[in-house]
Amino acid sequence: MDKLKVCHLYPDLLNLYGDRGNIIAMQKRLEWRGLGFEFTGISVGDSFNASDFDLIFIGGGQDFEQEVLLADLSADKKKSISNAVESGISFLAICGGYQLLGTHYTSWNGVQFDFCGAINIYTIGHEKRMIGDFMFTCLDQPISSLTVSGFENHSGKTYLGNGVRPLGTIIKGFGNNGEDKTAGARYKNVFCSYSHGPVLPKNPRLCDFILETALTKKYGDYSLEPIDNAIEDSAGGYVIDRLS
Amino acid sequence: MKIRIAAAILTVRITTLFLRIFGSGGTSFPGKAAMFFQRNLLEKLAKNITIVVITGTNGKTTSARITAEILKVSGLSFFENKSGANLISGITASFAMNSTLFGKPKNKYAVIECDEAAFKTVCPMLKPHTIVVTNLFRDQLDRFGEITHTRNNIISGIQASPTSVIVLNADDSLAYSISDSIINKTILYGMDSPPYGNDGDFLSDAPYCIKCKSPYTYKYRTYGHLGDFSCKNCGYSRINPLISADNIELGSSSSKIKLNINGTEADAEIALPGAYNIYNALSSAAAALTLGIEAVDIINAMSSFKGGFGRMESLNLGGTDVNMILVKNPAGLNQVINFLSTDNTQKKLIMILNDNFADGTDISWIWDVNFEKFSTFQSSLAEITVTGIRAEELALRFKYAGIDTDCIAVEKDYSKVIDNVIVNNDGMPVYILPTYTAMFDFRKALSRRYKIRKFWK
Repeated sequence: MDKLKVCHLYPDLLNLYGDRGNIIAMQKRLEWRGLGFEFTGISVGDSFNASDFDLIFIGGGQDFEQEVLLADLSADKKKSISNAVESGISFLAICGGYQLLGTHYTSWNGVQFDFCGAINIYTIGHEKRMIGDFMFTCLDQPISSLTVSGFENHSGKTYLGNGVRPLGTIIKGFGNNGEDKTAGARYKNVFCSYSHGPVLPKNPRLCDFILETALTKKYGDYSLEPIDNAIEDSAGGYVIDRLS
Repeated sequence: MKIRIAAAILTVRITTLFLRIFGSGGTSFPGKAAMFFQRNLLEKLAKNITIVVITGTNGKTTSARITAEILKVSGLSFFENKSGANLISGITASFAMNSTLFGKPKNKYAVIECDEAAFKTVCPMLKPHTIVVTNLFRDQLDRFGEITHTRNNIISGIQASPTSVIVLNADDSLAYSISDSIINKTILYGMDSPPYGNDGDFLSDAPYCIKCKSPYTYKYRTYGHLGDFSCKNCGYSRINPLISADNIELGSSSSKIKLNINGTEADAEIALPGAYNIYNALSSAAAALTLGIEAVDIINAMSSFKGGFGRMESLNLGGTDVNMILVKNPAGLNQVINFLSTDNTQKKLIMILNDNFADGTDISWIWDVNFEKFSTFQSSLAEITVTGIRAEELALRFKYAGIDTDCIAVEKDYSKVIDNVIVNNDGMPVYILPTYTAMFDFRKALSRRYKIRKFWK
């Protein structure tokens, strides 16, 4: 079998709050099952064809770093990302990366930044940050009873438009906007969340589910064999217990 | 007026004495109580003292201690604040404890460590002679916000004290860029060659130019984003520092360097391990130079250091060598891992992760740390015990770093950790890496167990 080709978009800029732990989790969970993993980092100035990859990861970044990449994104990467989304390539986008996939961001003082427009969501900046441990229940069928825990830290309030459904329903914390109980976003094989932590290591079933969307696109209907998740579950479970 | 100062100082003395009797250290109460009697007490008490303030994200405590050591060897009369008391209340209390009842200073000099978030408020009150900014790394983003926010806070503090001399790290593109926004006299320190060669930990907090957002290129890197940087687009680049280290040899308990202070060169030994402590020593040498201490005296003081101060604390508990090193952010922990990797004696490791406010409630930073490096020297780690509030997350981090899960013990009860690792031990050294509040809690557990009344100031 070919290796699963995973791309970290802007790894030197969008790498806040341990988000690279998501890459580590995907790599290890593939390797523990004897499956290959090939990592590519794509940053400012690099040529990029999103359809070269099976899974694309975009993390969160600080304001300074996000400003660095905006010009590069709209110059040539935006279109490629939208096409890849439509063609069913898997994406995991966290926090700032989640916002970037949307149509635009309006800062709290009214300045509008145009983003990728790959999914129909938008974000409005807010003066008060939404910070803390949080948890939500997933809505996708095979993982619909799964409770995911993580840490959120964002000032943007994100709203989902037509055609985009939430990844989950908030149990504790703020989620997309602190108003409508939605957590994250789902569209085709795109998974978006405000969850740092990082989210995948201590939520292994969510990690496997995302990997399976990429493996299924590559090889046809694909299920990963179960592996021991005791350490993962006790780390995720600790946060869930404390919030409950 | 004098009465109010006296009342405030008396308040600090009495409350401090009470707190000492009842055995709870590290509280902000005395300073706050004093500020109730005299709002600008700190400003008044600081007036006739020549003050060195040390701020920045990493290395404040160690730099303050080395600076203090140089002042001591030079025979100057000074006082320091305790490392835990680095907010306005603690600093106020330190000044009150070191003046007469009527507010006259007992010492000519003061070496003050100041929290980088508190610096903006504290600096204008102290009007320091010298301000050292050690470095700027990502640190507890939930508390401090983004690095650029911390940087701006430090700038506005300095701008309120235009006569202070500023000591900056030439190798730190974020910290050195402060010099553009201030009119103060500035002196620089740095390393003229890379301590780890091309094999360091170069996970960068600042890969893009702070001025024009183009990528930096490096002639060499020391660690993190530090090194001989330059921006090909706008020309912003490191300039040669006045105080520098070259010919660096890292050892497991000390480092040898060729120290250059304003052209005076000598071999020096830094009695603390790790490249980060070379930076701490250099920043202290620079601070001492601004006070008019001769280069020769600084070099002598530097070489006369005995180990055992700073943030690595070594104890012998019932025949077991126990070393405690505070870890609080990715840059610091990466440096400690690098240091552990250079020493191949068999050892046991205890790692303690808390997520209280003072530790940072967001523990995701452990995933930004190069834990994968542990797997390159796993053979010298007999045991890894993880504990603290978020012990499970540490176990998870070790698992995903490729450490054999059979070697990882999760034990949340400190007294059992002490039994399993320190008591039940046949002569193997133990390294304890706690976060901030974990350090205090674990020390308490150790002192209960070994009946130590006070083993560290």
